[in-house]
Amino acid sequence: MSGGEERLVTFESGGEPLHGVLHVPAAPSGNALVFCHPFAEEKKCAHRTMVEAARACAEAGWAVLTFDHRGCGDSPGAFGAHDLADWREDIVAAVECAARETSARVGLLGLRLGASLAAQVAEERADLACLVLWEPIIDGERYIKQNLRRSMIKAMMTRHEGGEDSEGAAAAAGALGDGTVDFDGYRVPEVMREQMEQIDLTDPPPSFGGRTLVLNIGASDSVAEPMQQLADAYAAGTAAAVRQEPIWQRIGVIDADPIISATVDWLRQQ
Amino acid sequence: MSDDQLKQEIKEMIVERLFLDADPNDIKDDENLMENYEIDSVNLFEIVVGLEEQFGISFEDEDFSVDLFATINNLAAYVEQKRG
Repeated sequence: MSGGEERLVTFESGGEPLHGVLHVPAAPSGNALVFCHPFAEEKKCAHRTMVEAARACAEAGWAVLTFDHRGCGDSPGAFGAHDLADWREDIVAAVECAARETSARVGLLGLRLGASLAAQVAEERADLACLVLWEPIIDGERYIKQNLRRSMIKAMMTRHEGGEDSEGAAAAAGALGDGTVDFDGYRVPEVMREQMEQIDLTDPPPSFGGRTLVLNIGASDSVAEPMQQLADAYAAGTAAAVRQEPIWQRIGVIDADPIISATVDWLRQQ
Repeated sequence: MSDDQLKQEIKEMIVERLFLDADPNDIKDDENLMENYEIDSVNLFEIVVGLEEQFGISFEDEDFSVDLFATINNLAAYVEQKRG
């Protein structure tokens, strides 16, 4: 942090106080971002990168509000007691908080499911400054399938290493009872799973007209077709690829500079 | 595609997707990938997604076993079988 300020903020959404950190730049550009975090274990893995990104954006003059949704992180509530509609409300409340605290024009930056929720909120908020989508979940059904598969592979490896996986076998079948599914130890209620399955960021095509960056993060230097199609669907969309280990898959020290630099460079052009 | 070509493509895919500091040509067809390249569940997931995307196959739940992912030979045989 060079000369800026980081302070705790609390704002209300759905009658609950949400916990956030506001990164205030030393030299404000008149712009701000709300960082929409990913889901469950992916949030935990990406936390360090989110903080580093917020600091880098603040150094570039953008105020950044990071926050925890209801039922997540330091915000109150049980994880399974909320759904995606609540979390979209949280993002809107965070936008209003950032605007109130900074008097800046506010955009959204999101990672994975957080990017998808940001994109959905942007459909209702044409006044947003911009939209930055880091590896968004474009197809919710595929996302669910891949998460269940991840649980199954983990259970398989646990068995292989001689451990117990009493829930793993059930997770492999996709259900833990009551329609809930296991996302790496997070019990996702049926209603939330159904909402996730319905995510399709390209159908109907997005109507948000502000500047939009779709950042494809992975092993390839070129943009994957679905990411390019999503960017092309926006009136002012750009896609870029960053060769970078997925920051949401593993807890550990990952140099996320390629993602952060690509984002800051893009923001500086706005 | 010949058997050797398929194995080479699988090796290249694994090195790229797992960000391995290795030359695909140095991976032996019958060496144990999990032991020699410290492949864990996160890596295995990446391999599954990579095989599906690159070779147009689809894993079924009942297909998953540690043996399947043990060697390049096993992976290549699986891809061949799925492609019919």
